[in-house]
Amino acid sequence: MKRANYRLPAYLLVLMNVLGFLLVFMANDYQLNVLYVGLGMMCLFLLIYSILVLCRMGDKYLVLIASMLMTIGVLMLCRLNIVTGARQIVWIGIGGIVFFATYTIYYNIRFWHRMWFLYVALGIALFVITLVFGKTVNGSRNWIDIGPIAFQPSEIIKILYVMFLSCHYSKSWEKPFLRVNPMYMTGIVTYVYILFLMLQRDWGTILVVFSIFIFMIYIYEETKWFLWANIAAAVIVALIGYKFLYHIQVRVGVWLDPWADVSNKGYQIAQSLFAIASGGYFGKGLGNGSPDYIPEVHTDFIFSAICEEMGVFGGAAVIILFFLLFYRCFKVTLNTENQYNKAVGAGLTLMFALQTFIIIGGVTKFIPLTGITLPFVSYGGTSIVVSFASLGIIQAISAIEDRKGAEALEQ
Amino acid sequence: MNSNRKIIRVLIVVSALFLALLTYLLYFNMFEAESVATNPYNRRQWDDEKYVTRGTIYDQDGIVLAETVEDGVSIKREYPYGRLYSHVIGYCSRVYGKSLLEREFDSELLGKGDIGIFQGDKKKGFDLNLTIKNSLQKYAYEQLRGKRGAIVALEPKTGKILAMVSLPDFEPQAESLEKNWNSIVEDESAPLVARAFSGLYPPGSTYKIVTAAVAFENGLSGQVFEDTGGFLKGELKVENFGNKKYGEISLERGFEVSSNQVFCTVGYELGSEKLLEISERFGVNKDINFDIDASNSRIEYKKMTDEDSALVAIGQGQLLVTPIHMAMICASVANNGNMMTPYVVDSVTKNETVIQKARPKIFAQPISAECADYLKELMVNVVKNGTGSRAAIYGIDVAGKTGTAENESEKDHAWFVGFAPADEPEIAVAVVLENSGTSGGDSAAPIAGNIMRKYLEK
Repeated sequence: MKRANYRLPAYLLVLMNVLGFLLVFMANDYQLNVLYVGLGMMCLFLLIYSILVLCRMGDKYLVLIASMLMTIGVLMLCRLNIVTGARQIVWIGIGGIVFFATYTIYYNIRFWHRMWFLYVALGIALFVITLVFGKTVNGSRNWIDIGPIAFQPSEIIKILYVMFLSCHYSKSWEKPFLRVNPMYMTGIVTYVYILFLMLQRDWGTILVVFSIFIFMIYIYEETKWFLWANIAAAVIVALIGYKFLYHIQVRVGVWLDPWADVSNKGYQIAQSLFAIASGGYFGKGLGNGSPDYIPEVHTDFIFSAICEEMGVFGGAAVIILFFLLFYRCFKVTLNTENQYNKAVGAGLTLMFALQTFIIIGGVTKFIPLTGITLPFVSYGGTSIVVSFASLGIIQAISAIEDRKGAEALEQ
Repeated sequence: MNSNRKIIRVLIVVSALFLALLTYLLYFNMFEAESVATNPYNRRQWDDEKYVTRGTIYDQDGIVLAETVEDGVSIKREYPYGRLYSHVIGYCSRVYGKSLLEREFDSELLGKGDIGIFQGDKKKGFDLNLTIKNSLQKYAYEQLRGKRGAIVALEPKTGKILAMVSLPDFEPQAESLEKNWNSIVEDESAPLVARAFSGLYPPGSTYKIVTAAVAFENGLSGQVFEDTGGFLKGELKVENFGNKKYGEISLERGFEVSSNQVFCTVGYELGSEKLLEISERFGVNKDINFDIDASNSRIEYKKMTDEDSALVAIGQGQLLVTPIHMAMICASVANNGNMMTPYVVDSVTKNETVIQKARPKIFAQPISAECADYLKELMVNVVKNGTGSRAAIYGIDVAGKTGTAENESEKDHAWFVGFAPADEPEIAVAVVLENSGTSGGDSAAPIAGNIMRKYLEK
């Protein structure tokens, strides 16, 4: 009977896929393409899940929950534009490969905690590359083109940043660097990153990075004043930013009253709120709404589209799914004995949680809007692949713990 | 393990954040979503019109008052009578949204819920058939032209609105509305306010109908008062209109000549509780359930004293009423004490098949039939040999009451409410001329008389 525990959610996933894609199939004038896309994705999920279970790769729920989120995302994307949906599935396929690759690499290498310098160097190199070769999309200069594909280095930098912080917080790096105490180094690196991100005008990522930093200090740093000093710095920087940066003034102004300038500055958020408000509790039904009125609907604003067509209850379901995902991730983190893995687990979990909170809060006007993607749901190669990579790391952490347990049992 | 304890705390904080997000989402949907969804900038509201031709609006004889004309890609909402119905039907603009009937009956006009098979490429929405009589509406409009104010004419037995005019008004056709929007909104005379049911005015002496009703119920009929030209109580001093002194005068004669001293005394002696109670029975402080969202007539005192009651008794003080409500009060006297819920949409039809049909409903029964008879007699005498003589129609008994209401400005509002024929009432009318500076008997009564005559001529 114990095995049924994790099979039931897998059946639910299959059911959701079958029903969802049949709906999109009907809404899209019975184009068979939709069914192929759906079938492809379902096979992909089942494949990933089977490998996971058969090879005993740790926690069995993480991937299931993420798959459910991806299903909702792809359903929405297919409904918006079948080509985008199909592309997203290709990305999910690549993401799956990256997931297993990250898993294997992370699982087998045991000196991650010694390489803090490499993480910083890589991070800064990525920033410099972005600044030099980057292109501007929607006011943020955070994309670079490699051949036919574009990607956002800042997504990768976030993972590197967490791994860098963990070196210090697991007490594996205690020697001062150029006479600078590691604690100050973490501060310096954080602020340098934030400076780079400001140059790119990527406010969403700044918010994510800085919040991770504050929470990590709270968890690990024993020096109390350092936490307060950083919070004070954040408040001061925010106030200065609000006073002098037109960008931030506009965002806060629009958050306080989006209706003052609906056709111009408040356009995005107003369109998002219109979509959510028009959906009601149960939504207009997949294919019956007009989510194409929302700008950036397949990336940042996908949550509003979900609310319009699947209703506020659909949106609430997405929030609860995310919550389950973090809960599982937190659980993995708590069960880990290895201090480095614990710190990485906590950091990555926070990254997921904060990113989700910031973007869902933003599009519902709960907090000022800063554009970032919704992990696993939004369309986007970098977003999907990096989310998968982070999930791979957490998966590996849970497997490492299982391995330890097994080894202990054998002895 | 110190770090685990702190990680759990962080988990709690994150959980709280997500719970807040969930709560906010539900809150938004419960309390804010409706006003957001109906924001004119929400293009979704116009989506339906790509597939549905908005329904036509007719008067009671089938005359077209509003229709959607399609010429290729351009879809236009046309109002053949222009401004005449701007405060009944409202407007329908992609920029500024919809108002009045266009808004309240939006889903009917768009044929929502129509599950029939549709022929051709476009569906047709449902049509509205109004209770308004176009010829009477035009006539009433002419009577009020150039003035500010409102006229409401209704059928006492059913509550059917026969004519409803509010001035100043505006050109409702979308193109012209959008062009002139700023000047319309900034105009100090507020042309966007539908005065007939959204305007709040002190009713002045027309409210003595209500006071006379409570006096009758308390056995004051036939009582004689000493009229010295004004009511004096402490700080309060109310003079009769035109500073007239009537000497010894009965309650009934006091009603005919509209003596303030008599009615202030009645209001004061009966006290605030009774005045408030009768007012609420007549529908003050209540929603009249009109087809279009209307203002509530109101008495606004934190604590009403007997002095306040003396003022309310003559329709002043903190008492404000809408013209449509005054017409309802008058009509309840005409209809043996039964106050009907007013309505303007008689039926909703699709290709002449009735989909919804309004039924006359009793809104309230404020007074007994005896009391109504008593008031009717008083009102007939007002027109026969009192202040309302200019509303008289040759050969027909008219009942009515005049009012001249003081307000914040220098110039009084002129009022008249009445119905005819007195013994078998077919029409009840309320007329208010905003800041006309004239007396109700001189200016409002003739207008009301003309409208009733015009309707009864048929």
